[in-house]
Amino acid sequence: MNIIRNCIYQGKNLFRDFSFLFWAMLYPIIIAFFFNLAFSGMMNRNFEDIQVGIEEDNNVLPILEEIDFVKIHRITEDEIEEKLENDEIDAFIDGDLNLTVKKSGINQTIIKEVVEQIKQTVKLNRPIDGSEFSVRYVADKNQESNSIVIIFYSLIAMVSTYGVFAGIETASLMQANLSNIGLRINATPLKKQNFLIAGVIVSLLLNLLANTGLLLFINYVLKIHLFTNITYSLIFILLGNLLGVILGIFIGVSNKKSANVKTAIAISTTLFLSFLSGMMGPWIKAMVEKYVPFLSRINPISVITNNLYRVNLLGSTKSVGEGIAVLLIYSMVLLIGSYVFLRRKSYDSI
Amino acid sequence: MVVKVKNVVKRYDEKIALDHFNMEVREGEILGLLGPNGCGKTTAINCILSLLKFDKGEVQVFGRKMTPNSYDMKRQIGLVPQEVSVFENLTVKENIDYFCGLYIDDKNTRKKYAEEAIEFVGLKDYVKFYPKKLSGGLKRRLNIACGIVHKPKLIFLDEPTVAVDAQSRNFILEGIKKLNQEGSTIIYTTHYLEEAEMLCSRIVIMDNGKDIASGTIEELKAMITTSEKIVIRFINIEDEVINAMYRIPHVIDIERNGEDFIIKFENGINNLSNLLNFIAEHNLTYIKLYSQLPTLNDVFLELTGKELRD
Repeated sequence: MNIIRNCIYQGKNLFRDFSFLFWAMLYPIIIAFFFNLAFSGMMNRNFEDIQVGIEEDNNVLPILEEIDFVKIHRITEDEIEEKLENDEIDAFIDGDLNLTVKKSGINQTIIKEVVEQIKQTVKLNRPIDGSEFSVRYVADKNQESNSIVIIFYSLIAMVSTYGVFAGIETASLMQANLSNIGLRINATPLKKQNFLIAGVIVSLLLNLLANTGLLLFINYVLKIHLFTNITYSLIFILLGNLLGVILGIFIGVSNKKSANVKTAIAISTTLFLSFLSGMMGPWIKAMVEKYVPFLSRINPISVITNNLYRVNLLGSTKSVGEGIAVLLIYSMVLLIGSYVFLRRKSYDSI
Repeated sequence: MVVKVKNVVKRYDEKIALDHFNMEVREGEILGLLGPNGCGKTTAINCILSLLKFDKGEVQVFGRKMTPNSYDMKRQIGLVPQEVSVFENLTVKENIDYFCGLYIDDKNTRKKYAEEAIEFVGLKDYVKFYPKKLSGGLKRRLNIACGIVHKPKLIFLDEPTVAVDAQSRNFILEGIKKLNQEGSTIIYTTHYLEEAEMLCSRIVIMDNGKDIASGTIEELKAMITTSEKIVIRFINIEDEVINAMYRIPHVIDIERNGEDFIIKFENGINNLSNLLNFIAEHNLTYIKLYSQLPTLNDVFLELTGKELRD
């Protein structure tokens, strides 16, 4: 049987499955709706200029003056503490381009990214004047943008991995010791790898469809515009899908627990990782990054969240390479792990 | 020989599921694998199909060793598992078409075979139904259709009539006969005695993972000492007279079953006539009397010491 025919039937079987429809399609939309309801007050705060303190003789002063969302305060070294304390400035930049802040927040993050970019330009010996500082760190000055959007990036990151459910289903259907259909399929001339390939294709396509539904809902119904860098956003959503499907296959083939237990494992895993990545509130993400920053770099949902946030909100692509590498490494490791379980042809017990 | 199983041993940890199990299936026959629940019938099928690893022994199908990669051999085999094994979210027609497509590449042949299978199991009025909307009997029919749609040479039917209504059961049994008449060799597992007697050309009796006897029904019945049973209900009979009955030629045992007596005879002629003479001699009155030939249950009882009840 060719793979396309298998895709059609596996796709029909999955698409008509209520549990898949609920978890992959409806649940994320419900969550997004309630997040919007809960945080709409905070979301409606208009983006304001970033107040930056700087000394008169600082070389980067002319550059910063060119950035329209940065408001410059020419201050002396003695005033730094007081201005920061009174929230008159969000950050102070010294002559060596070190940043002094009193608290963390989106304004501090954005100005940090600006300074980082200036530093990189200097290191590359490129003339600072030639740098493109008009990069859109924020899509629009009127964009309803603040740290709360992290919640939505985190939600998107989480649901991009919801191919995990379809992966579990595919694994269950192809193993004789996991399902009745698996037993029947193993007695037919269908090669396991063909069923698996079709399952992965179908899982990816259907989960991407579910993701598209969520993104359209956020964009057109909730009217929250999250994406400015479509290419990198798509790459991370795709990688999240791939990781989710492979994780599902791994959960599916690595144990003989019931389908419900496996679904529970998948939900709790993705939910916990999303929690750490800031889905329940950006302060959790801030705490993780402060106390266990390594965790944030290896948590795949954090990796997706951070990169969606950086490429879309901060216009920064500096961690894209690392993010892609981390997600690909996870996918490869889980794929190899799944192969170890899948390669057996006969079973000890059914 | 279509299937040859030689000395297969299969253990689940300490429990032995198949204990030096042997079986031979000849082309064109319906072989019944008869035994109580849990005796190893399904395990035997799974070992033959190379779905289960076994510890010892040898399995040959179509004269060749069966392995998980024997795809060309699998093309000629159909399996109807004990549990209904279909996609819950595909319709009757889609399920049959899907499983047919795993064996048959040509689109027109596939369509023809699927239609024939639907007709064969009588699901023409249900083609657009999802399995969950079907009754237990109709689900079983769908399960069968998915296993035989590609017209295999060898069909394994694992207790296909468990938990189905009488109408579906007869439909299924008639269908199996028809499949056999059309040229398929069939291995049929069951714990229903009358199904095995009605359907099978040869029977392998299993108990505790062992093949304890095999042959045609007549051959199996010839293996046991009881050749005839006469059931009789007397009006008032004394124990002394009962004991005297043991002097009737060929009587080997007398059992009491409620008000009835079951008198067992070993091979011999005129058993009923001898009993009637005894009744006349002792002026006995009876209200019920009939003769029974031994059943497969008698065979099972004598070979294992326990009954195989429906």
